[in-house]
Amino acid sequence: MTVGSQVKGCFASVKSIEASLQLFVNKSQDEETKETFLQVQQLIKEVKDDLQKQVIQLSKEEPQYK
Amino acid sequence: MPDWIFVIIRSITLIAILFFMVKWLGAKQLSQLNIFETITGVVLGGIVALHTVDLSSNFLYALIAMAIWFIVPFSVELISLKSKTFRDFTQGKSTVFIQDGKIMEDNLKKRGYTTDDLLEKLREKDIFLASDVEFALLEPTGSISVLQKRDKMPLTAKDLGIKLAPKKEPQTVIMDGKVILEPLANLSLNLNWLETELAKLNVSIENVFLGQADSDAQLTVDLYDDKIAVPEPTEKPLLLATMKKCQADLELFSLATENEESKQLYERNSKKLQAAIDLIFPSIQ
Repeated sequence: MTVGSQVKGCFASVKSIEASLQLFVNKSQDEETKETFLQVQQLIKEVKDDLQKQVIQLSKEEPQYK
Repeated sequence: MPDWIFVIIRSITLIAILFFMVKWLGAKQLSQLNIFETITGVVLGGIVALHTVDLSSNFLYALIAMAIWFIVPFSVELISLKSKTFRDFTQGKSTVFIQDGKIMEDNLKKRGYTTDDLLEKLREKDIFLASDVEFALLEPTGSISVLQKRDKMPLTAKDLGIKLAPKKEPQTVIMDGKVILEPLANLSLNLNWLETELAKLNVSIENVFLGQADSDAQLTVDLYDDKIAVPEPTEKPLLLATMKKCQADLELFSLATENEESKQLYERNSKKLQAAIDLIFPSIQ
């Protein structure tokens, strides 16, 4: 596995985490818990955005594995 | 008419009256009654018993006596609700038995408690050493309330400085194989959700003896057929595991790369994920 595909895999996992969190935010009845989930979701979103840039950059660096 | 018919009529009438009186006087447990309420109960019972079987007595007298024994305690209760002084007079005050870890001998004597009585009451609270008690109070009902010394109290999450996620009461959504709609609505969930969750567990609703959902809408069920294994809820552990995996991956990338800029990016995000894990841990463990 190339570095590019590994990072891509991690990026996919982060996206899945974000989606699960969204699910919990919607399902949770307790305001405080909801707030926590929203905070965590924000953090994950930042990580996701960074990783996305990295994925694009890596695909430029290793066009042969695209 | 034969006498036994009168007995039946009297019994039924008195039972009905007594039932409503007890209801209006308020539901309290027998052990929580104060002296006055106990006497009222006994006397009301006595009146009923007497007039049920004694046919020579005037039935009207029974009604009058019961009415008085009902009205007086009822008004006493009403006034007690309004006035603290009156309440102290009718219900009695609590007496301090142990203060600052010291037994108040005079108060014990005043309430007619021997040392053995006090020790017995403490033992009922699983306290065998009187010096473990910081503060103890004899309630008007005769039960004793005890505050133990700080170092004898059970440890709580607050003592340890652990933050715990708030937990709301779970709702019972399935009973005896039937959906109960009201609790489901309390969680703002609907039948569709329930059907989906049951499908995920691979069980049919007829087979569910009891189903409960917590405030995070996680369904747990007990089945009629105990041979079928129900999978544990996996959503939350799975989320936590994925987060941990991603965090580890990012750390690995940061170690593997030689590009300084990428290294910093991975490191930064790995730390962010760690912060996220720490934040969410109490809520999903």
